[in-house]
This record gives sequence, structure tokens and C-alpha cells, in this order.
Amino acid sequence: MTPLLDTPPSAAPARNPSPAEPTAGADDSRTLIDALLAEQRELTAVEEFSRTHDAHEVRNRRYRDLLPASAPAPGQQYAFEVDLDQCSGCKACVTACHSLNGLDDDETWRSVGALTSTDWRAPVKQIVTTACHHCVDPGCLTGCPVLAYDKDPVTGIVKHLDDQCIGCQYCVMKCPYEVPQYSKVRGIVRKCDMCSSRLAVGEAPACVQACPNEAISITVVEQQKIRGKYRGTPTLNVEKEQRRKGEKENKRAGESSLSPFPLFPSANLFLPDSPNPAITLPTTRYVSQRSLPVHLEAADAHEVRPAKAHVPLTLMLVFSQLGAGLALAGALDAGRSRVLTLAALAATLIGVVAGTLHLGQPLKAWRSFLGWRKSWLSRELIAFGAFPAALGAHAVILHPLTALLAALLGLVAVACSAMIYVDTRRPFWSAPMTFGKFFGTALLLGGTGALVLAVLSPAGSISVAAAVALAAAGGVLKLAAENRVFRFLVDEQSPQLTALNKTALLLSGRFGFVSRVRVACALIGGIVFPALLLGGANGFAPLAVAALVLCLAGELIERHLFFVAEVAPKMPGGGNA
Amino acid sequence: MLHPGEFGLGKVPARLQPDATTRSICGFCSTGCSLDVHLQSGMAVNLTPTADYPVNLGMACPKGWEALTPLAAPDRATQPLLRNPKTGKLEPVDWDEAMQVFTLKFRALMDQHGPESVAFLSTGQICTEEMAFLGALWKFGMGALHGDSNTRQCMATSHVAYKQSFGFDAPPYTYADFEESDALVFLGSNLCIAHPILWQRVLRNKKNPEIIVVDPRRTETAMNATQHLALAPKSDLTLLYGVANLLVQNHWLDRAFIEQHTTGFAEFAEFVRPFTPDMVAAETGLTVGQLFRFAETIGTRKAVSFWWTMGVNQSHEAVRTAQAIINLALMTGNIGRPGTGPNSVTGQCNAMGSRLYANASGLLGGRDFLNAEHRAEVAQLLHLPVERIPAKNSLAYDQILEAVAEGKIKGLWVIATNTAHSWIDSARATGALDQLEFLVVQDMFTTTDTARHAHLILPAAGWGEKEGTFINSERRFGHVKKVSRAPGQALSDFNIFRLVAEYWGCAEMFTQWTSPQAAFQVLKKLSAGQPCDITGIEDYRQLDAAGGIQWPLTEGMNYEVGGMKDTHADPVSYLLPHNSYLQERRLFADGKFFHADGRAKFLFDPPRRMAEPVDGEFPLVMLTGRGTSAQWHTNTRTAKSAVLRTLYPANPYVEISPDDAARLRIEPNTTVAVVSRRARAECTAVVTPTVRAGQVFVPMHYDVTNRLTRAEFDPHSRQPSYKYCAVRLEKIEKKSL
Repeated sequence: MTPLLDTPPSAAPARNPSPAEPTAGADDSRTLIDALLAEQRELTAVEEFSRTHDAHEVRNRRYRDLLPASAPAPGQQYAFEVDLDQCSGCKACVTACHSLNGLDDDETWRSVGALTSTDWRAPVKQIVTTACHHCVDPGCLTGCPVLAYDKDPVTGIVKHLDDQCIGCQYCVMKCPYEVPQYSKVRGIVRKCDMCSSRLAVGEAPACVQACPNEAISITVVEQQKIRGKYRGTPTLNVEKEQRRKGEKENKRAGESSLSPFPLFPSANLFLPDSPNPAITLPTTRYVSQRSLPVHLEAADAHEVRPAKAHVPLTLMLVFSQLGAGLALAGALDAGRSRVLTLAALAATLIGVVAGTLHLGQPLKAWRSFLGWRKSWLSRELIAFGAFPAALGAHAVILHPLTALLAALLGLVAVACSAMIYVDTRRPFWSAPMTFGKFFGTALLLGGTGALVLAVLSPAGSISVAAAVALAAAGGVLKLAAENRVFRFLVDEQSPQLTALNKTALLLSGRFGFVSRVRVACALIGGIVFPALLLGGANGFAPLAVAALVLCLAGELIERHLFFVAEVAPKMPGGGNA
Repeated sequence: MLHPGEFGLGKVPARLQPDATTRSICGFCSTGCSLDVHLQSGMAVNLTPTADYPVNLGMACPKGWEALTPLAAPDRATQPLLRNPKTGKLEPVDWDEAMQVFTLKFRALMDQHGPESVAFLSTGQICTEEMAFLGALWKFGMGALHGDSNTRQCMATSHVAYKQSFGFDAPPYTYADFEESDALVFLGSNLCIAHPILWQRVLRNKKNPEIIVVDPRRTETAMNATQHLALAPKSDLTLLYGVANLLVQNHWLDRAFIEQHTTGFAEFAEFVRPFTPDMVAAETGLTVGQLFRFAETIGTRKAVSFWWTMGVNQSHEAVRTAQAIINLALMTGNIGRPGTGPNSVTGQCNAMGSRLYANASGLLGGRDFLNAEHRAEVAQLLHLPVERIPAKNSLAYDQILEAVAEGKIKGLWVIATNTAHSWIDSARATGALDQLEFLVVQDMFTTTDTARHAHLILPAAGWGEKEGTFINSERRFGHVKKVSRAPGQALSDFNIFRLVAEYWGCAEMFTQWTSPQAAFQVLKKLSAGQPCDITGIEDYRQLDAAGGIQWPLTEGMNYEVGGMKDTHADPVSYLLPHNSYLQERRLFADGKFFHADGRAKFLFDPPRRMAEPVDGEFPLVMLTGRGTSAQWHTNTRTAKSAVLRTLYPANPYVEISPDDAARLRIEPNTTVAVVSRRARAECTAVVTPTVRAGQVFVPMHYDVTNRLTRAEFDPHSRQPSYKYCAVRLEKIEKKSL
């Protein structure tokens, strides 16, 4: 910025910058500025050019071929059909959906990604547009604790009832396709409803209207056929064979057959390198006349990105499991200790309150029992209603049987918590890992918590030895469960990364330091300090407190990693598309 | 939640239900789509693409759908800002002060250092009326000489190529030609991404056409080709001469057309003789079989159209390459008929307006500053003393920046363009900007890479906040409307020019330029008798009703087109849609070109090597281009839309072939450094088979890209060669936590 304005404008000679200025004086110039500013405010387009065009017919004529001729019969439903040969990656569908449905600024109900071949000698870049698949067995619907999802009995469209939603975001976890979108501002989730109100009057959905290439249409599909295709029937032998192979591969990679990440990604009958369609039975049909090469992968297959952190859920899980662990310790002591019971109750309540903070609509939380028939979240909430109640009752009665009841309810509640995640079918949240972690936490924290009380008031509580045993059992169980994932640690240059490979890479790479701190916490707090207490340092209270604090910190870190290192299934993305 | 929108719109969100609608032409690319703007009390609240407009047929790309969003951005320029010499900070001033400083500084520089010590750099993004006003004001009113437009970066090559070959800058086609070809050849054009709404027209072609894509990369468009010629970068001129040779050798020629309507064919045929299939195959990396099939398709299909974009225009031998395409069309008679033509697909929404009316490199209305007759015509039409019209050409964009760097140009006025990001070898360009004594940036935003260097920022109204016309790729004038209020004291570019005229003291020369509508009447007069004659267009109202009108439309042509007499008395109703012969017109049906002899010229030169070939130190070719359809150029507008931001990677990235990635042990999605002789840029590595070994691709929308590119120019068009420079990749060792 070399020579700056040497003459301050205010010192400019008079108001006439030059003698060439016409007779129009300064005041006239001022008037022109005012006139131009006033003119700039005027909006004249309406008076001069407003029009009521008869474009409706033009539009409708064009979309007639892209909509089904008749409504679905019983056993049928509407579905998106995407002609992959026509999709050229313009993404107009995403923005049209956004504008025509009046979505929030960064809210999108459709997205576009790409599949690419892995060999430049046969270069392929296949663009893929995707929205809600209006599944035959929708994960969002079965997970919702307040029945805020409805699968229309006639059209099969999976609708989200915005006014019922409590913002628990469990549907976000249950959907393998990243469809439900949570809005922090609204405190609820929203999603594509296939523009059902447009379809109802014969208008095309926004994305169908907006595709310049007519790549998206609405079609009618047989639900039973989809079930058969993805979950298998005897008539589909070839596919079954393929599936069996895939399952074998899956097992080798530590992923269950119903993992959202099928190996043999390109043999996926739904779409190459997309989530396992057996989970929710998506109805969208991807069609192509081209013979796509076998080795196709999502253009973003190599992205290893941490997931969203859930602080309230992290607190909820750890403190409620501390509560359950303390209740268990109390039961082992025949329920003699009121302090222990009250501590269990306090920890559980902290957990429950923290969990409520996770909700976008906490005031509506009371309705969450409604989905108990299908939703593990509902069941968890019921269990976490009963468990503290039992603890409260026991704190009054102090009978061995009520202690046992409370402890059992605590364990049931923890099991429900675990099932919430297991039911998402995500490999890092598989049953062995999740149950191991959750019950391990209960034992470890229950043990160290009881240890503190045992050291402080040896008379009214379980023995130090029992507490240490409990803690050690928990510690070992936990570290074993957590260590499982590192079997999937691979060289980063491995051509295909599974979800667990990516999780292991995150835990050892980006979160490597945090992971090590976490292990240190568990080892020192859960094993070394208790062992010391058992040995020479018997009765040294600060050591017991330190053990509890360390374990609590370690568990909070572990549960934080449980969320952020999880790699969610998704449709192909990337490809700059 | 959704209510019937009325106005033929179908259902719209209830809170955005319009009480009126109006059409406006999109302000991003040159396709020229019409958008139905939904209004509430005259203010735009939403938009949908116009269903019955002949260009876009009810469709828009993501940028078009989001056209209103950037208007509400928080970093809009809302008042003039002047850099305080003491603090070095930009501080708000009123328009009066801004205009005084503007005139004082520019006049002082011109008085002290002469009229060649100042220049403007303008744009293809503002309305034709505004460009013409700026050019006339600068050269005739203020007495300056140098000024150029950013269309130098996109369309200068097509402009020069057509002008030399045809005698006038006249893209001959209409979009219906996409649908009527039985072979389409795309050269250096990723139409699917850069012009997605035009790709729609290709897919509507019912003739099962051959689609030939000439592009080093396996682009989205190449994916849809029946023949993808993945040639070595910058071997296109050799390829085209080789194909011409094959056409000659196999007598795949339209002899009658060549004899009646062209000159120079014999010399051309002789010239291409050494471009044998073997030689061309070796140079381009293609097989002889591919060359034959390509030539045979062109030579034997009935309606062949050739479409080129920046892959051709942005080259060190761009004009000759464009003319090599023109030559193929001429020798096979693929011009003037439906589905034919050597067709340049333009870049910016009003690149054509700039080519015809910017008064920068050419005199108003497609004229020549060096031609005394032309100067006299313009002087007479504008009621000016002829001495006010310079008899000298302006420096081109690169020469202006060079003169800035050398200290010869000391004052610069940048209008609606982002030189500091978009100019080739941008660090050098930015360094030049910092040498200026006075840099004025007139823009919608205060935050562009260029505005950060300004001494004075003039707040401009954006698209949708002002009125005027754009001219699209197929020569169609479209009307842009004022449907939103500019924030604060921002003024339309047109009105800023009015203010400058007033403060400079030359307002009396521009008494006809009271409004864009009035200026349009001036443009009509300037077009009379030129190939781009628009004297037949009544006014904005008619443009709006007609669904845009292609030039030429001479007075009287309303009533008789293609031998068909009009039965309607009212020209407006006559021009309503469905009169397709008026809506879709192409040039040269009569084989008459604009040279004095009425013939088109075969023009050619031997191919030249790039100045910076790859070598051991910089072994990779860096290609650049459009990343996604959701990004526009330097992303100053498209980055303002949250939904568009979800559609492209936030950080710069480099596409690398799997072979190079394996060889260099570069892992996908890690950060690598792209290093050229000019700069080093950190990018995310995207390993993709769509890029061939030995090449990398970096999209142009990130500011790092042009720090890497090498400033080389086509000698005829002075257009920068953005699409080739030598680089190497360096792994960046990850720091572990």
C-alpha cells in the first residue's frame, strides 16, 4: 500500500474538484446523490413487468412421464428412481429441494456424491444423487421413541411428524443413509417426505421438477420384492450366493452380516459402496444401462473424519453407569448402606438430567415411552424411570430384596443403553464392544466408588477387597472390550478401509494422545491405586478418591471417543460432487 | 407447509408465497437462464426457473437457484470506504467525499503523468448498458485510454478468432443446435459442470448423436461421450490439424461451400499435409484408430457441431486452436445449417455484452478504434466531437498490470472483478496492485481479495438490485430486473457512472444516458448497420415478453422473418413464445460472412511449444478448471450461500491419478503441497482415476490456484494460458498429536 492519499479529502479545495466542473454547484451534486439513492430504493419490476404466466401447463406436461400413472396398490409403494446414466452432477436437485421446500440456510434433504473406479486405465466417475430412500423397514421409524415417524399405508412415504419430535436424534443414528437432519435452532429433526403434498395433487417433487436431465422420477415398487432382494428368498440364489460370500468377508473383517458396511461393496445390490440394504430395505432404484466396472468405490471412501461429539450423552452414559455400578455394589453388600444407595441415586439422576440436555425439546421428553414396542430408546427411558425410583425406595426401606431389585433394574437400564447403540448396527457399536464397555464402566466406577466409601466408613459398606475386585473386573473387561478395535488397525495405504479400520486409525492417529491418556487413567485409577489400597496403603482415603476421579475421567474420555471415533455408514459422497 | 404458489408455480413454501412474479436473466454464466422471481410487495423472496423460456426450459443450476442469497450477505459494501493514510484502515465516507477523492486523484494523476497513467479493469458480470457507459465515460468523457475487462480471461480468444475468420465476432449458433446435431464435438468444455443447463439440450437430442469429448481428463462430460479423446495437454492444435489432414486425404469435404464461401483453403490443405496420423498420434498420445474415427465422424455425419470453452480459449495458441475448429466446420460445410457450427460457449453472463459494447479493446458496437470511419460514426451517433474518441487501442489486461508493475500506470479502477485472485500468476498481479498510488474497487463486497488492497471502495448494487440487459452465448439479449433493494448506500454501477460523470464535469456528454432503459436506446443506435444490429428490438418490455431476442434483429425484421409475413399488427404479441423462427436463429445460412469479400478465412499457424514444459524438477502438468457447478469463479458470491457451500469442498484440493499417488506414496485425503516455480500451495490430495498419470488438476475457485499458474498469453487475444504449468507434488509429513 505505497503512497496513500496525501491530500485528506476534507481539505480538498472547496467542493469543486476541478475547474472543469460544470456550473452545477455542489448543492446540485448533492441532489444527484440523493436522487440516485432514492432511485435505488425503488422497485419497479412489478409495475412494469409483473406477469401471470401460464407456465403451469408447460411444467406439468413435462413431468407427466416422471410420475407414476396410478397410486400404489396394496403391497406397493412410491419410490425414487434414479437413472445414473442421466445424472451429470449439476446438483440442481439439492438446491431446488432447498428452495421449493423453504429449508433452513444450510439444510439439505438431498445430496450428491460419486463413485469412482480405482484404475485410471478404466476411469469412471459415476455421479449419484440421493435422498431419503423411504425404506420398507425404516430404521428411523423403529428407533423413534415418540412415534414421530409414520410410514404412509398407501404411498409408503416415510414422513417425519415435526410437531411430535423431541430432538433426541436417535433416528440420525439409526438411519444408515444420513437422511434425518437435526437442526440445533429448531431442536428437531426434519427430512425428505418425497414432497408428498405435491404428489398428492399430481405435482412432481422438487428434485424431480428441477433435474435438467430427467434423471429422477417417481415410480411404484413392490415391497415384498425389495424384501426378497435384500434379505434373501430361496428364489434369488445368485444373489444369495453373493451375499454369503460377502458375509464371510464381513466376518473376517469383524463386521456382522447385518453391518451397514458390507464388504464386497461393489457387489451391493442396492448401489456399489453404499450401506447394506438388508438393514432398512431402501426403495430407491438406481438404474443404469452402462456396465459399471466391478471395482467402484465411493469418491470419499478414504475420508477418515471424526463424528460429532455428544457431551450430554457422554455424561449421561457414564454417570448412569456409575449409578448402576454403585447399586450393584450395594446389593453385594445386602443393601446395608444408605450412603451408597444415595450416591447411586445421585449419580443416576445426574446422568438422567445430563441426558435430557441432549434433547432438542427437553420439555417433551416425558412422551418418550410411547415407542416402547420397537425403540430401545423408549425402553431405556422407562428403565431409567424405574431404576432411580427403586433406588429411592431402597434408600427408605434398606431391605436386601429392594437392593437386589434396584441393582437388577440398574443393569437392565445399562443393557437398554447398550442396545440403543447396538441396534444401529454400526461396527464400532457392536454388541461385544458396547456391552463390554457399558457394563465394564458400571463395574469399574461402581467398584472405585464403593472403594471410596469403604475407605471412608469401613463399617457401613462393602469391604475394600470386594470393591477392589469389582473395580479390577470392570477395568479388565473394559480394556479388553476397547482393545478389540485395534485389531483393525491397518496400514493407511490399504486400498479399502472398513469402518473399523477408520475407527482404529482415528483412535491411534488423530485421537492417539487422548486414547493413551484414557488407558493410563483406567490402569492407574482402576488397577494400580486399588491394588495399592489393598496392599500397604490400606485406608488411605485420598488414594481412593484419586482412583475414583481418575476412573471417572478415563470413562468420560472413553465415552467421548465412543462417539467421535465412530464412523457412520453413508451414501457415496465426495468426488467434489 | 407448502401452499399453491399461484402464477403457474405449483406449490411453494407458505411463508414465501408470492403476490407477484417477474422474469429476470440469471447473473452467473453465459447460458442466460430466465428465472421467475417470486415477489412479496415488490421484493424478491424466492425464485424458480422459468418454464417457458427458450434457453433453460424450466431448469437452473445450483447457482441460479441460489442467485438471491448473496444479496443478503453480511459483508456487502454498504457505504463508500476510504483508506485513512494515517491508520491505513478503510473508513466510511459519504458519496460526495468519495466522488471528490475519486476525481481529485484520477485527475491529478492524469494531469501529472498523462492520460495513459490510469486504467480500468472491468467485467463481464455487469449489464451491457453499464459497460457501455463505463467505456464511453472513461475514454470519451474522462479522456483516459486504457481499460480492459475480465472477459480477456474468458472470451478474448473467441472474439479474435471469430473476428479474424468471419470478419466479425459472431458466434453463429442457437441452442437448438444442440438438439439438431447428429454429431457433437466438445473441445476443452466440461459442459455438464460448467454449463449444466446446456447439457440438458444435448440430452434432448433425439438423433442418437455421436458425442466426442476432447479433454485430457475423464470429466463428467467425457463420461457421457461416445468417443473420449484424452489427448496430451496442449496438443489440441496438432490434433485438429491432423484431423483436417485426414478430412482432406479422404475427401470428406464440402467442396462447393469451400469454393463459394471461403478463402485460403488450398494453402491450408497444403499446410496440414505434414500432420500425418502417425505424427499426430505421437504428439497427442491418441491412437491412429481414434484419429480416424474422429475424422470420419466429422466427415460423414450430416450435421456436426463443434463446441469449445476455456480448454481452448485459455491457451498459449488459443486463437489458432479456435480457428482450427472453425476451419473444420468450414471445410465440411458444417455452418449455417441446423445442428452445425463452430460454436464458442461463453463464460460470463455478459461476456458478449463486453465483447460488443465495453468500448475497451474495440470501439462501441463491435467497431475498431483504429478505423477513422468507425470513430466518425460513433462521434456522430453520440453527438461528440470526434477528437474525444481515441485513435489508439488500449493496453490489454496483462499489459495494464505490467504497466502498473513498471510504475507507468498509477491509478486503477477495478469494477466487479477480482484480479488478486483470478489473474494468472496472481502473486505478481497482487504485488502490482500494491504499487498503485490510487486503487478504486467498485464491488458488492468489501472482502474480495482485490478490495483488500483498495484505497477507495465504491459500494455497488448487485444482480437483482438493478436493471439492464445481458447477452448470452447464443447472442440473446435478456432483461435483468430490479427486484431487491441494495443495502445501505450501495448504488447500481450505472448510477455510480452517472455520479462520476457529474463530478468529473462531463455529464453534459451523457445527457442521453439517464437510465439503463435510455442507454439501451443509445446501444440500439450504435448497432445500426453493424452485424450485431438490434434496431428491431423495441424496448425492455418487448425483450421481456419475447423471451429474449438474439442479435441481429434489424428494424423491420419483426415483420418479416425467414420469408414469413407477420399477421399480427402488434410486434409484441408477435414475439410471444412459440414463434420459434424468431426465438431460435442462427447466422450464415446464406453463406455470407462479414469480411469485405463476404468469405470466411482459413487461418492457421504451426503449433508452438509451451514455455514451461515439464522437467525433472517439475514433472507434472497442472491443469485448472471449474470444480463444481455450485462455485462461480473466485467464489465471492457463491461462497455466501450456505447451501452452495455444502456442495463443494471448503479447502483447495488437487486431483491426482492413482498411479502418481502410488508412486509418490501420497495417501488419499492427506495434505500435499503443489509446488510450481512461482508458489507452493497446500491442497488436499484427491486420488481419482479421472486424471491421467503425469497430470494433476486444481480447480480455479481457490485463491492458491493462480499463485501457481504461469503467466503466458496467446499472442493474438492476450488471453492467459491458465491450463498448463509445470508443478511437482510434495508430501507433507503429518505432525502427530
